[in-house]
Amino acid sequence: MKINILIAGHAGQGPNALSKVVGSMLVKWGYYVFISREYGSVIRGGQNFNTITISDEPVMSNESKTDIFVVLESEFKDIKKCGIVLIDEKKSNMYFAGRIIKLFGIDFSILEEELKNIKNLEENIISAKKGYDEEKIRIPLKKLKNNLSAMDGSTAIAKGAIKSGVDVYFAYPMTPSTGVLGELAQRQTENNHLVLELEGEIAVINAAIGSAITGAKSMVGTSGGGFDLMTESLSLAGQAEVPVVIYLAQRPGPATGIATGTGQADLNIALNAGHGEFSRLVVAPGDTTECQELTSQAFYFSQKYKIPAIIISDKHLAESIYSFSEKPIMTKSQKPTNIGRYNSYEHDESGAATEDVELIVKNVQERLKKHAAIGKDSLNFETVKVYGDKKSKNIVLFWGSTKGAVIDASKNINAKLLQPLYLEPFPKSLSNKIKKAKKVIIVENNSTSQLSELIAKKTGFIVSDKNKILKYDGRPFYSDELQAELRKRLK
Amino acid sequence: MTSLNLSTGLKSTWCPGCFNFQILTGIKKSLLNQPDFRKEDYAIAAGIGCHGKIFDYLDLNGINALHGRVLPTMLGMKIGNPNLNIIGFSGDGDAYAEGMEHLIHAARYNSDIKYVVHNNQVFALTVGQPTPTTEIGYKDKTTPLGENIYPLNPIKLMLSAGASFVARVFADINQIEWVLSEALKHKGFAFVEILQPCIIFHPAKELKEKTYSLEQAGHDKTSFSDAMKKAEEFDYNMMMKIPIGIFYQKEREIFEDKFEQLRNLKDKKISWRDIKR
Repeated sequence: MKINILIAGHAGQGPNALSKVVGSMLVKWGYYVFISREYGSVIRGGQNFNTITISDEPVMSNESKTDIFVVLESEFKDIKKCGIVLIDEKKSNMYFAGRIIKLFGIDFSILEEELKNIKNLEENIISAKKGYDEEKIRIPLKKLKNNLSAMDGSTAIAKGAIKSGVDVYFAYPMTPSTGVLGELAQRQTENNHLVLELEGEIAVINAAIGSAITGAKSMVGTSGGGFDLMTESLSLAGQAEVPVVIYLAQRPGPATGIATGTGQADLNIALNAGHGEFSRLVVAPGDTTECQELTSQAFYFSQKYKIPAIIISDKHLAESIYSFSEKPIMTKSQKPTNIGRYNSYEHDESGAATEDVELIVKNVQERLKKHAAIGKDSLNFETVKVYGDKKSKNIVLFWGSTKGAVIDASKNINAKLLQPLYLEPFPKSLSNKIKKAKKVIIVENNSTSQLSELIAKKTGFIVSDKNKILKYDGRPFYSDELQAELRKRLK
Repeated sequence: MTSLNLSTGLKSTWCPGCFNFQILTGIKKSLLNQPDFRKEDYAIAAGIGCHGKIFDYLDLNGINALHGRVLPTMLGMKIGNPNLNIIGFSGDGDAYAEGMEHLIHAARYNSDIKYVVHNNQVFALTVGQPTPTTEIGYKDKTTPLGENIYPLNPIKLMLSAGASFVARVFADINQIEWVLSEALKHKGFAFVEILQPCIIFHPAKELKEKTYSLEQAGHDKTSFSDAMKKAEEFDYNMMMKIPIGIFYQKEREIFEDKFEQLRNLKDKKISWRDIKR
């Protein structure tokens, strides 16, 4: 079973708080939920849409259809045709929380507990109780025994960083990377790490390089435009061999683009940004468990090989709430080395600049060897995940946040699903699997299919244009629409 | 003075007679005269330009960083280990052109780091283009019509941005030894500009003789308005009287002390490695 609830309201009316409270109660009631949000780049008055998908089995995406439509602002009442519409413009968000749980047959005491976690407790309880008492419709959900938790991608990245022993996190605010900044800032005192906002992304990355060389496990967070600004220093981290972890949360570009939209158009810059030739790691989590696991692996590789390690995410992953039962498997990383002499020039072992021909060649070759060593070490990790019908000759390829929609769309579909978690070093196993396939379909949230470009470059395999399912409207895939697209191509 | 020598032993690539030799010697003398000097208590950062080669000749830990990015790198180094004394070196291009945003914020943050700007009023390593402190009328291959933008006054800028220690000296061993010692004694961000002729591209032969000592002139370095007045005496354009010495010094809470996490590292004299979580 699946139920989709759409909550529509102005920014400031509390659609986020409402969807979080409803989601959290359903998770406690034993149901899987997936909540995504769409909003404009305004603080008050913009249109906010939160979609909650509820299921008795794992779910990681929304569907395009709506079963229950909650209207906080009557001007939105006609945007969706729907059987059950909850509308009352004079009421606050938590009034609707009361109505929704009554509708599902959930005890009011659970909502009461939930409201204790947010401000205006008394006021909220009064309006929630009113909603609870007034609701007449019933779609009872019996309590399930699933033991689930829920969090968004930003929280998961922050948790991953904390568990990996991050000492200092530097950032300049930029949507959608700011969630990690906020979460780490909130937890800095209890965990004794430090979070600093400096004058810009260039200062941020150079300060992180500075703190890394004097002994702090250092991480930065940014989005596309900010990452562009960091590019020169990415190259410095490569040349001077400084371990730094970079969280890159994509949003659609170019330039300021769609500030609060989602997209996957920055894979190319993650892989290629920075002048000169140097090693890096690029990992792409697709859910909250992978966010934690891959963050710890980014720290492992960056500390062990003294390289920049990039965790690439996007707005959809960062800001959507996922429910799960599994525990992440974390990788331990070394502590930073003691200070020595580092150099942005080509340099000798003492750290002094050099233009010596033999030394230059030796250094370049050392960097190539390091690149090979990273590739070899990556084989100790799960670099590609396989789902779906593992015997199928058809392959559906995807990376990052499209995972949820692809997996939910592919139930009962004749295809093996491949998700590269590592994009640099490029997983060799992916190339073997692709070459044996009868049909390869790719799903990406961009217009040029950057993953198929990477695959073509690394393996020579060309994904045919008609098998590319690309979405570039700043919105994530809906699983039902994606399923129709997949079926068309698998015919 | 200890028996330590802070030389790396590398052959210098500065031009014979370059004032950077004076600066290097002054810095070394000042450091070696610090009470209980230990190399491991210090770390340096340098930018890119002729000045930046000081990293190769000064045998201390640290980084030869990117052009313009010395200050955020230094701030990071201090945060990575607040028990280290951090000294940074920049050129005028590095500090006043590419790295300007960092300079203003560094003065505002007031981290306990010492910043030395080698100002020879020219991009020397790229063979002679004008910088933000080059005088009007200066010509080189890239500016055949002559420099026509009025120069920046970094002393005034640093005073307005809230720097707690603002000094300018001439590139002379004794002056540098003295000013770095004063800067190291100061608790907070120290901005030190060294006026330095470039013997190849910007000889400024009359520079030294135009200077006079603020201290001997009875300047009150605790007065912000007096400092501003003195800062206006030399506009980096006309060769007028050039006051040198400490323009302004007033300690205020340093960046590191505002964060419990960093105070903890300082108080216990430990590093991030020692933090158990």
